[in-house]
Amino acid sequence: MMSLPFLLFACGLGAAWLRQRAAAMGFWVAGLVVLLVLFRMNMSDVLNIAL
Amino acid sequence: MPGDVAKLLNALALMAVDTVLALAFVDQLWFSDLPCPLCILQRAGLTAAGFGLALNVIFGPKPSHYGMTILGAAVGGAISIRQILDHIVPGTGSYGNAIFGLHLYTWAFIAFALMIIGSAIMLLDDRQFSRAEPMWSRLRPLPVTAVATFILLAIGNVISTVLLCGAGFCPETPGGYLIFNDNLRVTMFAGAL
Repeated sequence: MMSLPFLLFACGLGAAWLRQRAAAMGFWVAGLVVLLVLFRMNMSDVLNIAL
Repeated sequence: MPGDVAKLLNALALMAVDTVLALAFVDQLWFSDLPCPLCILQRAGLTAAGFGLALNVIFGPKPSHYGMTILGAAVGGAISIRQILDHIVPGTGSYGNAIFGLHLYTWAFIAFALMIIGSAIMLLDDRQFSRAEPMWSRLRPLPVTAVATFILLAIGNVISTVLLCGAGFCPETPGGYLIFNDNLRVTMFAGAL
């Protein structure tokens, strides 16, 4: 699951290499959304910065 | 600045991103400093930010590509700030090896900040967007190398993350590659939930 953003970005780069700009940007958006979701899921604990 | 110069600058910036991602692999493979979940997400943020640079190299500079770089760097920067804050209180330790006195997540934050500043500076020049030119046919070795290396590093991160974490979430402090031990089935089951 953690490899999903890389997979989507790699697919997007492949699409860009094949000159499919719209598809590349679509993969990038999907990758960024997945990245944000994974960040949220990994950071469920409260940050403790009390001195 | 002409579009070709902007493209060359983007290729150089992409080479810098390639170097950072490659050094992360060197740290992982040579020094056995396995990446934590946030470290992996920061690599993904770096890939998201570098994506815009790659599009600038392939299709020519466009404001939307710089926007992608800024957004990717902002997400990556937020992730690195979170990890910095995890260890900012004295006595809370750190993660991984320090390089020149700073840990990788601090260097990552600096890199993301530089990408945002650099993209903003590049956006100040409108002349690079003035004419559409067939960039792909005029690619030279440096841009092709930068993009090809970036693609290979993205694929390498897919493989590395699957080996490290299996199909689920990565352990907070990875002790080894999950794919090579018996915990994989548990990890895959947890990932399915």
